[in-house]
Amino acid sequence: MVEDADAAKALIVQVIDVQFAAVPGVLEELLRTLPDGGELIQGEDIDPLEIAPHITYIQDASLLVCKIRATFENDQLSPSSSWLPSRSQSLIKKLSVPALMKLAKVDGNLPIILGGTKDSSLLTIDASAIDGTLNIITGKKGCGKSHLSKLLMVSLVGYKATVVIFDLNGEYSSLGMTQDGKRNMYYDKIHALTPSQNFKVGIDQLHLNVVMGILVHALHLPGTSAREFRRIWKGLKDKGTLTIAELGEAIRNYNCNQHVRDALASRFYSLVNSGFFTDNAAEATLLEESLMKAKEAGGAIVINLKNTSNVDRQIVVEYVLGKLVDSLQSWKLKATFLFAEEAHLYLRETYWDDIVTRMRHFGIFTTFITNQPDTIQETIYRQADNIFLFNFTNEHDLDVVSRAARVDAETVRSIARDLPPQYCLTLGRVVRDFPMVTRVRSLDLKTMGETRLFFT
Amino acid sequence: MIEQYTITTTPKYNFPQPAMDTTLPQRFIELSLNSLRQVRTNAFQLNLQQDSTTDTPTQLQLKRQPLPLTPRHQETLIAAVDTSTIKIGETQTGIIIAIRGATVWKQNRHYRYTRLGPFIFHITEENKNAVYNSIEKAYFNVQYSGTHQATPPLFQMPTRLASLLERWLQTMLAKTVNNGVLLFDGSLTSGTIDTPTQRMREILATARRNSNTVLAFSKATSLRTNGYLITDQLPEQETPYLLETTGVRFKPPTVLLGDVYVARLQKANMAFRLDIDKEIPTPNKMEAVEKLLGNDVLQQSYPETLRLAHILCTFTANEVLAMQHFTTRRHGIQIINRPDMHRLLFGPFGKEGYA
Repeated sequence: MVEDADAAKALIVQVIDVQFAAVPGVLEELLRTLPDGGELIQGEDIDPLEIAPHITYIQDASLLVCKIRATFENDQLSPSSSWLPSRSQSLIKKLSVPALMKLAKVDGNLPIILGGTKDSSLLTIDASAIDGTLNIITGKKGCGKSHLSKLLMVSLVGYKATVVIFDLNGEYSSLGMTQDGKRNMYYDKIHALTPSQNFKVGIDQLHLNVVMGILVHALHLPGTSAREFRRIWKGLKDKGTLTIAELGEAIRNYNCNQHVRDALASRFYSLVNSGFFTDNAAEATLLEESLMKAKEAGGAIVINLKNTSNVDRQIVVEYVLGKLVDSLQSWKLKATFLFAEEAHLYLRETYWDDIVTRMRHFGIFTTFITNQPDTIQETIYRQADNIFLFNFTNEHDLDVVSRAARVDAETVRSIARDLPPQYCLTLGRVVRDFPMVTRVRSLDLKTMGETRLFFT
Repeated sequence: MIEQYTITTTPKYNFPQPAMDTTLPQRFIELSLNSLRQVRTNAFQLNLQQDSTTDTPTQLQLKRQPLPLTPRHQETLIAAVDTSTIKIGETQTGIIIAIRGATVWKQNRHYRYTRLGPFIFHITEENKNAVYNSIEKAYFNVQYSGTHQATPPLFQMPTRLASLLERWLQTMLAKTVNNGVLLFDGSLTSGTIDTPTQRMREILATARRNSNTVLAFSKATSLRTNGYLITDQLPEQETPYLLETTGVRFKPPTVLLGDVYVARLQKANMAFRLDIDKEIPTPNKMEAVEKLLGNDVLQQSYPETLRLAHILCTFTANEVLAMQHFTTRRHGIQIINRPDMHRLLFGPFGKEGYA
């Protein structure tokens, strides 16, 4: 805090980098002890006034590169930085994180403790700051992204929120257990659904729009064939004979162009082979049921996409998203927090914009988790409300992240590259645009996120 | 022949204990601290100008026939002295200056140094004579009242005090080194305000008694023959060589205690004015320069030992900042910037020192 008593206000500045001060003469100092041979000259310095420590002090002087974050005036913070405090008269004070958080009013009724800050205080954000927002968790692998997403997820569940997770590596299924295998407080709230195992969909329960979404977007069915499929589906539905076998039979016997029939048949077999669809009503798990359970007491529906092929994964995701939109549109659900790990592996191109614009209005609030920031579109970064940034050393990755609207590139570049593992730079609404570095706290959860190794 | 070390170890210096006091210049420290205490309540202005002196022009002849030199590799101690002074600020009543001296010698193919200082003084009109005279009295026991101006202007005090330290260091070298070559910065001109003839004579005599030869290198000279600087009239002859001069006369009381040569010690088209103790026979003078060539590294015709002495005592901007920090922290002197009238009146055109 740079406090100008005369102006009766203060600037809140953040140290984003520490450099050696460009003190004139330092190079000469270092060079002069080397004669032409390059060998160090031995000698004695008789320094009766003890100036040498002062020289060392000047030589090692540090320059703190700061960014102006806000102005503090009349007990209020404002984002204004259109004034400068007196260079000679201002008082520079270190503002502790709790004090800053108090000033910035980063508190609320739904606290989520992210972890500890450098000054040994806790960084607590408010769950409502994640509500209705688009979030990105990114960093290079092994830094703790999944750990943070689990922390956010269980915290939201703790506040009775509905959370849907696309779990690419099967890490979230055991979150209801502690590390030593005992049940924890989330045990009844974690609904792990593994496609084609405990997550199957009765074909007669499928809404045509959802099926069409799967066929067109996941299985790339051309428009003409899609029209024919619609006719077949409607015919069977009207007759009340919509089963997998009947659908296959109808496609085989359908009087149409051979190419169209072949296209329909190949998609049909893809659906059948996914094992995700069933005629057995007892076997079918209703996603809607899990969502309703979660709606009542809060819960997480973990869609385990581990061991699922690329096509099947897309089918499942299309289904889940379609179903979510349906539920939200019909107000069966109020809102859902969606956690999507490495979304580029299963999310079709057009969904990106959908998620940040249309689906957000329906109440799907997405958190993307990725170690490849360039797989997320630039528009997503521009509209991201919160970014949880872990270490990146690659310039290209830092460039991508620095495109986010709520952060300046310099802050990202200078802080992110020096972050140790498990340290996270939090940017955006949750910290009232005061970038904060925190060591993400540990969780007593069975995370199963560790990489399997050969030698250990 | 038994190899004889000309330098033995003492607790303070790597020199033998001479008759003269070679302990730390305690008087320098005392006066430095006393003078700073007086300024405790005053503010001072930053100013980084350094004074320079020039040679007095004279009429002389330069012999066109070079004296060729052959490097002598017979192990000889080469030692050099230099001092530096800088004004680090101004107070309402005077100036704050810093002085530092360095001696460098080459021994067993390694350079070694002793650096004295920095000594920081607050010099005012009131204390300038007291400071100067008490140091002079403490280190040279006598005052050369005949040539000593009673009240030197304040702006000359930095160079006067630095000269005093330089002469003291030169005396120390002359007393403690045997069979060596002593390199001084500047000329062997004496009888000037800061170099009393008697003192310089004594330094040279002491050096001779210990079989040393004093070579004084001037980085710049104003001596001219036929309108050209003597260092610009270099015959295309194989280097290294010396060019002898004759007829160098100064107006009294200035006295030249050395013979003036132009030394071109390397192929590079660079030469320096070189003064060699007059009392030394010419062959010994040549021998001393040849020993220098055989024992020291030369860069652009300039001895490395002397270059290092100069470099080691010169103040860098960083050190000036450190000394300002010292005076502020230790002595509570508040630094203020007195407006630079040139800058104030003429803006970017107001460079100090330009009319």
